[in-house]
Amino acid sequence: MSAIVSVTNVSKIYKLGKTEVPALRGVSLEIDQGEFLSVAGPSGSGKTTLLNLVGCVDTPTSGSVVVDGKDTTALSERALTSLRLDSIGFIFQSFNLVAVLSVFQNVEFPLLLQGRLGKKERADRVNGLLEAVGLGDHARHRPSELSGGQRQRVAVARALVGRPKLVLADEPTANLDSQTGANIIDLMRDMNRKDGTTFLFSTHDQKVLSHANAVIRIADGQLLGRETVARAG
Amino acid sequence: MASPVGKIRILLGIAGRNLFASRARTAIIGAILLLGTALVVAGSSLVESVDRGMRSSIQGSLGGHLQVYSAASKDELALYGGMGREPLLEPIVDFARVKEALSRVPNVKRVVPMGIDQALVAGGNQLDIGLEKLRADVRFLEGGDRSAELLRRYEAHKSHLRRMISLLWDELQASRALADDQLIRDRKQANEDLARASSPAFWDGFEKDRLGSLEFLENRVAPQAMEGTTTFVRYVGTDIDAFMEAFDRAYVVEGERVPKGQRGILLGKWYAEEYLKLKSARRLDKLKDARDYQRRTIAADAELQRWVKENQSQLNEIQMQLDPLQAEEAVARLQKGLGSSEKELGKLLSELLRTSDADFDHKYRLYYEQLAPLLQLYSIRVGDTITIKAASRSGFINSVNVKVYGFVHFRGLEKSRLAGVMSLLDLMTWRDLYGYLSREQSEEMTALRAAAGTRQVSRENAEAELFGGGGGVEAVSQKAARIDEAAVLADIGGRKKSDDLFDRVYTQEERDRGVALNAAILLRDPSRLRQTQAELEKAAPGLGLKVVDWQKASGLVGQSVSLFRMVLYTAVLIIFAVALVIINNAMVMATLQRVREIGTMRAIGAQRRFVTAMLLVETAAVSLLFGAGGAGLGAFAVWLIRALGGIPAGNDQLYFFFSGPALLPTLGTTSVAISMALVLVVSLISGFYPALIAMKVSPVEAMASDD
Ligand SMILES: Nc1ncnc2c1ncn2[C@@H]1O[C@H](COP(=O)(O)OP(=O)(O)OP(=O)(O)O)[C@@H](O)[C@H]1O
Ligand SMILES: [Mg+2]
Repeated sequence: MSAIVSVTNVSKIYKLGKTEVPALRGVSLEIDQGEFLSVAGPSGSGKTTLLNLVGCVDTPTSGSVVVDGKDTTALSERALTSLRLDSIGFIFQSFNLVAVLSVFQNVEFPLLLQGRLGKKERADRVNGLLEAVGLGDHARHRPSELSGGQRQRVAVARALVGRPKLVLADEPTANLDSQTGANIIDLMRDMNRKDGTTFLFSTHDQKVLSHANAVIRIADGQLLGRETVARAG
Repeated sequence: MASPVGKIRILLGIAGRNLFASRARTAIIGAILLLGTALVVAGSSLVESVDRGMRSSIQGSLGGHLQVYSAASKDELALYGGMGREPLLEPIVDFARVKEALSRVPNVKRVVPMGIDQALVAGGNQLDIGLEKLRADVRFLEGGDRSAELLRRYEAHKSHLRRMISLLWDELQASRALADDQLIRDRKQANEDLARASSPAFWDGFEKDRLGSLEFLENRVAPQAMEGTTTFVRYVGTDIDAFMEAFDRAYVVEGERVPKGQRGILLGKWYAEEYLKLKSARRLDKLKDARDYQRRTIAADAELQRWVKENQSQLNEIQMQLDPLQAEEAVARLQKGLGSSEKELGKLLSELLRTSDADFDHKYRLYYEQLAPLLQLYSIRVGDTITIKAASRSGFINSVNVKVYGFVHFRGLEKSRLAGVMSLLDLMTWRDLYGYLSREQSEEMTALRAAAGTRQVSRENAEAELFGGGGGVEAVSQKAARIDEAAVLADIGGRKKSDDLFDRVYTQEERDRGVALNAAILLRDPSRLRQTQAELEKAAPGLGLKVVDWQKASGLVGQSVSLFRMVLYTAVLIIFAVALVIINNAMVMATLQRVREIGTMRAIGAQRRFVTAMLLVETAAVSLLFGAGGAGLGAFAVWLIRALGGIPAGNDQLYFFFSGPALLPTLGTTSVAISMALVLVVSLISGFYPALIAMKVSPVEAMASDD
């Protein structure tokens, strides 16, 4: 299998005034197409930093991050944005839906930015995904009319609608109760199986971890190792 | 190509929904924009309408499109008067040359010579008229006529005169009570003369020396009655025919136009109403106007009550006019009209003028229908010859006699003092008053005077004397200009001398050759005013002239519209500056609240320009929406004002600005365009900073957890 993401000897140092905070220290990592990968580690260990670098919303202080064959350190801000739009889907801890748009419009939003599909194709794709996440009859609702779990399902649909190769999720279950969180992970897992979309998500939750097929352990900005999860069932 | 449409749709959708989601904020911003635009639209429409009204007033009554005057002038031209006095202008020595040169510019239609000044007018004097009648009677008596009819008339005229003098005496005694010692000492001689004239001894001795007594009355008493009836007249010396053609608002309301090329004056009708009319009649008119048009009542208005009181206490002006026979008739008519058995005229008049809201209309009619025909309502009548005195250029008091041919009004400006106070004086008479002599003219004059020896050249026939009546050179003898007031007053009987001058017809050439102070220029195509002004300016320096447009030429009056406009624009500026700050603040706050949303969009793949546009569209949408609404509101206000009859011209100044009794504003397309442009600029400026914030939002913001 070919690597969709390769992180090589990456360091990220945040500057807080005069003091420097090293968030990542010499991290190297390869993610293959179709993986369903979890990042685990204590608070402040650098999970979010790692995801931001892989997600092309931030660039490393040193080292290289190659996503979908492109070296992000060499790309302009505009090119990075285009890369995110076309190749990466995002799921956020606090769902981050656009409050004033309906469920349908939220999911449609990346397609409008891409501007490749006509109205009908967009509608078909959005409705298909809403069916898939179990919200077929909530298309006209506003995010505020949905539960947390439902909102995160909308977010999953939005992340997948542009058919990205990679979906990143930073603690997608942190704002959900454990049962709902587990359901979301299952949903992601289904999508991963169905279209082979690569998933990388971070979590604190041991129960959630058990759903991943591999876990990267991170502590103090350094990779501790990578272990394959023995599937419970 | 689904992308741009879809993107714009989503931008508008997000903007609309955001505006709706934060209704309170939108409402505040909207209200400010709504009122701001409404104010701009309505306000600038009003100012434009005033501008149009005033332009029409000035252009149609005195200003024309452009004006020229000597570049050497100390002051600037001010057609409606400067700061408390007429501006000092250097004369245009040879108007004919100026007219010829300016007429060569193709767009110039007409050049009208002008000279504006103020002068004292000795209004018709009742005592004079009485004396004239008596003198005629005396002449017949001295000639040996002893008919009963003559004697009856003679006695009536004599007793009328005696009564007038005794009324004058009473008046003087009344004013003595108020005057200070110095004034009484100054007036000692006059006082003694009047005392003598009102004494029974004087009248007992009248028959012994009729001519001597008459002379005494004419020389020593009549001048005292004169003072009260002297008024200031503001006039434009002009080629009256050219003036009437050029200024379509001017029309003769009574009498006739001065015959072509002749000397004469058309008195301003407004001036006549205000200054020449019997005070009681004028006050009745004002009362009627206040009651009928301003809906005021005598009962509730202190000013109207004051007019009624003044009317009752100033009966002399009426009584002076009535000789005993007329007085008898007046008593009979008033007894009937008032249903009274009172026999004393004074009491009847007092009763007539004691008007209340209930009987005003009846008494007003009674006054005009029954009493007025017995009276001379205006102290100057069509056909009268009046004496005008003004300070000439050389500083001497100059005086001319001129015949009143009629009264002139300015259409649509009938109640405006600014326009209506103006009288039209023929150019030749004006030049006599102005007293300008060119160097050749004064040399010629000196030579002629030497040839004539020591003989005095009187003012009235100076021209005939000097140039045999046909020279066409305008000149006034410096010697003759040195006329003091006493000489003028003594001169009243001698008006006949100038009759031949009054009948003379001056050719166009004669009228053009000579002095003017300024000239109005009327254009064929007024829309090309600026170009023509530039063309004239090129020609002007060679002639020593300055060219100004009508607005500048009108002086303070023209500047008042600029003042209105400045006030309005300042208000607009303040409103929009406040709007800018408020909108900007509100949008910045809103943007800061949406940092995570913007970050999310950026993370998902929205480019910077998308989120920037999103913010700008939002401000632009709210601005355009409420801006258009405000423009509509302003347009509605303008329409409403029109529908309700306009803004009434509360005073005569406004009458002039509004060019009529009410301002009927029209919606200016430029006002709407300007206001929309302003709103757009304000919204773009106030949306700029929030958009900048949005642009700087990093996609990392999306990851931040809120709690
Ligand atoms: N923008 C920033 N500026 C300065 N320091 C930062 C910034 N973002 C993260 N850090 C620091 O970098 C280190 C790694 O932070 P990171 O958010 O990646 O940890 P995390 O593993 O995601 O923690 P958590 O589980 O609490 O989300 C921490 O010490 C954090 O304080
Ligand atoms: Mg984190």
